[in-house]
Amino acid sequence: MYDKSLLLSRRTFLRGTGIALALPWFESFAVGGPTQEETPKRFVSVYHPDGVGLPLKSDPAWNDWCWFPRGGETDFELTKVLDVLEPLRSDITIYSGLSHPHARNVHGHSNADQYLTGAPIGGSGPYRNTISLDQRYAEHAGDFTRHSSLVMSTNGGVGGPRGAQTQSFNREGRPIPAMNKPKEIFDLLFVTSGKDAATRLARSKSALDLLIDNTRSLGRQLSRRDQETLTQYLDAVRDTELKLSKAQRWIDTPIPQVDTRNLHLDAEPKEARLYFQTMYELIYLAFLSDSTRVATFQLGRENGEGPHDLLSQAVGLGAAHGLTHEVKKPGGWQNLGTYNRYQAEEFGRFAQRLKETPEPTGHGNMLDNTLAMHGSASSSFHLSRNYPILSAGGKKLGFTNGRYLKFGKGNEDNQAGAGIDTDAGWQSKQEVEELPLAKLFVTILQRLGVETDSFGGFTGSLSRV
Amino acid sequence: MNILRILILLVLGNASILLAADGHEAVVPLEAAKEQGRAKSRFLKETQEAAKAADAIPKANLAVFQELVEPILTKSCLACHGPERTEGRLRIDRLNPDLLTGPDVDRWREVYSALSKSEMPPEDEPDNALAEGDRGRIVDWLSGELNTASLIRRNSKEHTSFRRLTNYEYNYALQDLLGLPYPLANKLPPETASEDGFKNSSELLQMSVMHFETYREIALKALNRATVSGERPRPVTYFVSMQEEMDRARASGKETKVFHKGEESYGQIKNQQHLLNRESGTGIPFAIGKSLPRPDVVFGETPPVSPVVLVLPESHELKLDLDRFLPDEGIMRVRIRAARSTMKPDEYASLRLIFSAHTSNDANFSEVISARDIPVTASVDDPQFIHFDIPLGDIQRNPFRHLATTFPRRDEFLHIRNVSNANRGDDRLQVLIDTIEITAPFYEQWPPKSHSNIFFESAQRSDEQLYGREVLNRFLKRVWRRPVSSQEVDQFLALFAKYRPEFATFEEAMVEVLATALSTPEFLYLTQRGSTDEAHSPTQISELELASRLSVFLWSSIPDDELLELAERGRLREPEVLAGQVKRLLADPRSRRFSQHFVEQWLGLERITSVTHVAADDPLRGAMLEEPVAYFEEVLKHNDSVMDFLHSDYALVNERLATHYRIPAVYGPHFRRVPITAQTHRGGLLTSAAIMTMNSDGTDSHPLKRGVWMLKRILDDPPPPPPPNVPEVDLTDPEILKMSLKERIINHRNKPACYSCHSRIDPWGIAFENYDALGAFRTHVKDQPVDATSELFNRQTLAGIDGLKVYLLTDRQDQFSRAMVHKLTAYALGRPLSFGDSADIDNLTAQFRRRDDGLSDLITLIINSDLFNSK
Repeated sequence: MYDKSLLLSRRTFLRGTGIALALPWFESFAVGGPTQEETPKRFVSVYHPDGVGLPLKSDPAWNDWCWFPRGGETDFELTKVLDVLEPLRSDITIYSGLSHPHARNVHGHSNADQYLTGAPIGGSGPYRNTISLDQRYAEHAGDFTRHSSLVMSTNGGVGGPRGAQTQSFNREGRPIPAMNKPKEIFDLLFVTSGKDAATRLARSKSALDLLIDNTRSLGRQLSRRDQETLTQYLDAVRDTELKLSKAQRWIDTPIPQVDTRNLHLDAEPKEARLYFQTMYELIYLAFLSDSTRVATFQLGRENGEGPHDLLSQAVGLGAAHGLTHEVKKPGGWQNLGTYNRYQAEEFGRFAQRLKETPEPTGHGNMLDNTLAMHGSASSSFHLSRNYPILSAGGKKLGFTNGRYLKFGKGNEDNQAGAGIDTDAGWQSKQEVEELPLAKLFVTILQRLGVETDSFGGFTGSLSRV
Repeated sequence: MNILRILILLVLGNASILLAADGHEAVVPLEAAKEQGRAKSRFLKETQEAAKAADAIPKANLAVFQELVEPILTKSCLACHGPERTEGRLRIDRLNPDLLTGPDVDRWREVYSALSKSEMPPEDEPDNALAEGDRGRIVDWLSGELNTASLIRRNSKEHTSFRRLTNYEYNYALQDLLGLPYPLANKLPPETASEDGFKNSSELLQMSVMHFETYREIALKALNRATVSGERPRPVTYFVSMQEEMDRARASGKETKVFHKGEESYGQIKNQQHLLNRESGTGIPFAIGKSLPRPDVVFGETPPVSPVVLVLPESHELKLDLDRFLPDEGIMRVRIRAARSTMKPDEYASLRLIFSAHTSNDANFSEVISARDIPVTASVDDPQFIHFDIPLGDIQRNPFRHLATTFPRRDEFLHIRNVSNANRGDDRLQVLIDTIEITAPFYEQWPPKSHSNIFFESAQRSDEQLYGREVLNRFLKRVWRRPVSSQEVDQFLALFAKYRPEFATFEEAMVEVLATALSTPEFLYLTQRGSTDEAHSPTQISELELASRLSVFLWSSIPDDELLELAERGRLREPEVLAGQVKRLLADPRSRRFSQHFVEQWLGLERITSVTHVAADDPLRGAMLEEPVAYFEEVLKHNDSVMDFLHSDYALVNERLATHYRIPAVYGPHFRRVPITAQTHRGGLLTSAAIMTMNSDGTDSHPLKRGVWMLKRILDDPPPPPPPNVPEVDLTDPEILKMSLKERIINHRNKPACYSCHSRIDPWGIAFENYDALGAFRTHVKDQPVDATSELFNRQTLAGIDGLKVYLLTDRQDQFSRAMVHKLTAYALGRPLSFGDSADIDNLTAQFRRRDDGLSDLITLIINSDLFNSK
């Protein structure tokens, strides 16, 4: 009886899918903004739960299996965790000393929820989140493409409060369900007919026609001053109409044909390599066909369970989450490092593919116009500080790569909280200074062309990036 | 009659002044100050002249200016506001004395304000002092001229009342229209407040694509909730009987610790949750497993009262694991039969519902889902059902509940919490529960009333065209608050015809059309059409528009059928009818919205959300926010004088707030009026904890914020915004660090860039120094006695809060009552007031003062005013 999904409005419909139709939430398209011909600016965020290996310097494993590089800004040496990215050295940046202030004393298990939002969700009680970085950008760029964003994760859906299985949250702070089946993602991107959408649009169109008529006849009975006020309403209706006709255009535009040779649409998380590669390939194809410019992909969920724990089978290891608990066992740091290395390797493969593809507009290669971020919201064991973050690409957006950027003070060698394997860490007092990760988000948004100087309540950007 | 009264008051007033002069600790008793101040009212003296002015042909009174005013200005003002020195960029000799057509009205209004408040000339310049008579002469001339100038500008109004509904009005309108009791409009973008603090101010209520799309989305969702289709759905019902729990525990054969009420060891158990057979006195510790739906139970059938009860002590929670069977949508009704263990009047208990899930290690949530705590009032001999209705689609649910696998966990928990003050003593009040029923989706009837309000019974039901017209006609009339023409209905019928083939049923297609009606400007806006047949007054709004204006003013919502019908029949403007309707609207529970929203906006209470030293879920904060609203309602209900807002010999408190105020013997969460003495240091709104708290810096009082608040909210005399580049107080300077707060303020104020504004603001705030960051009364700060004495710009000394109140009551009654009229009128009209309105506001103020400043009278005066009845 309540299931009248066919009647539901466009937005409710959008929320129900991991892919959003290209109907912008804001009226940003009304004036200015880039045109179709301009080279797209893209953003993708890959999140991996559970953090990384961070042994103490005194530990023999430190030299090889600490996630963070050794050395300084340009002379840094990648450890065995990230050395797979050495060929992309001039296209990546590694960050340290960044974290979300509201999360620093929240258990790492609850962290995926605010990785892209920075919201003060706390560890228990009522749950309120805020808009995520990708969706903030999708409000700006989602209008130029068929789909405003592509939201994916291995576990799919939204997860639970403080146990998110998606990185993406809308303006009201509600989670956007992630898609996790390659076949479904492919169908939505490259097969869907759009017949239902067309019916819905036609219905909205008739309603708007009526509203415009009705408003005009009211306007005739109002004073000149009040008519001006009513113009605002009429403009809002007309702008909505414009959006509908844009959506109509997408429905009328043929779905792009793409090369499907690298896709294994039946891949499942237990065949982790194949699965990762297929998911990355779907992002690549979505970007290449300019079906969307915004994507998120979450590799598992905090606290393990479900598909997540199968991912480490790609490198012959047991349950992924368990790796973080077993760092002090023989070979423990190496095992966690090996798993993180595999994540970096697949990310690198994706970045390399973007790099090798000339931009369809002829403006450099695709990686240069894409900011691909890869990271986690904990470094050491469940410790929500000093996030291990790296980014690739974005040269034409203004990012200068080939650098290891250390932010904050007092933790230049990444030893705060290092070597722990108990929950004592996340409750401890923070002794070193870190900068809000939101400042990096502001920089990213600005480089992507969003005019803003704050994100999630934090103002200012990171000048050195 | 009036004159006689004033004379008497004058005598009384003089008597108290004499007392003060006698060398006593010269504090005028506050109640006497009210009388004394009233006697000084200009509004009460000016009545006849005002009436005369209205008839005269407006012409600038230049003769009086040249003869009387100009010489005084030259003598007392020109030295500082002339060619030699030009303080405040004012050249008094350059102001055009023709206020009616000249360009200097705004400057003259400043002159009037400074003179009438005795802020000018400065007291420390005796050479320029004004004789009292001289001051009166200028003020009299200016007030007359300003009044006439305002009347002339009346018809060239700068602002209009044509506006869209605010978010909260839209929400109430939808609720009332559809009969859905829960919030529907949370998704609308937030709104800002005007300079006056009002959110319903026409110039701020914008419309954007985002608004429009959200309106459409909300409308469709609300209609889908209000209407139903198909057969009545089978509800999921849970049933928890304490008798059954006891029987099960004892029959399980497991070792259960059985105890008896008479045993000594019961002392340790009785303040824990346990099951107790009230007849036999035997009990067992309470433990309950998963509850599963009970298809065998018919919800709402009253089972016999059982002697076995769950004993729920203060702040304990019964946590029910409902597994994963609650439906996604619909109302969940929770019905609890409960009684009090004792009836002691100083103890209360109430129930609250909390919903939670714990899906894996740290992935969890819990939140309060009941809108308010419901008191348990029944005695053990006669336990009564309490019920809660919760919209399941609106609360945070466990997203894993539909999972086929068991992890992450799928369970959802309902907690029933005893919120009570019974945490002391031997025989504490506890809540005794014998039966709990939970069902969802719950319908009082089928189809629900919200459905049959729209899709009513009709002989034409079988003919979709005819019935569609009927449905639309009735719906549009309520949505547009006016009769609709058949051409207008045709438009919507045409849309329906277009939609119909796409839907299986008439209702589904019609709901889409009705959603469109809810997006029309005539629903979203408060309209005022051009004159039709009311030729007698082209500026007057129609009766139907008056009905909407009335209901939006007093209910924050659309008119009901009675109001509409009276307007439609042209009877609403009949004096007795209108008076009767105002009375009815105010007596209706919906008028609570008026008190709440007006008071919140008038006093700016929202600011409390930006302080962190009292947490959002702290019961003290809840009590703080409720006090001013309860206080306003109390004054409104008795038509008491608004001077009570400045001071009263009673307070409106509940137990939590009474504890904060150190008022003894107030029990329970509800607000009530209690008499207080001077030693309580309360009475009136000024010292209410919410206002003190929101105007503090988080650790201590903040005199500047408090001063600005007084000027803006109470005296309607907002100070100008701070200039750019104001020097910060340098806290690294050791000299400054040593100073007390008051000394620091004075030090800062003495910088030339700051003096002129701060000397007008700070003294008002310093008078509140006896109230700390949470508004608790104090006599010492950091071991130093509080110094709350300050001196106003006009050299008036304010000796702490009592001094401030005496001053306001003796010397600023007119200013405050006019401020009250101004604020309430701006709210009632939903637009900012401008100079063109000021003659009307003065006129209203004079009438209001003559009626002894009664709050309810003020509402009547406003509703009957030209302003309220004009476009």
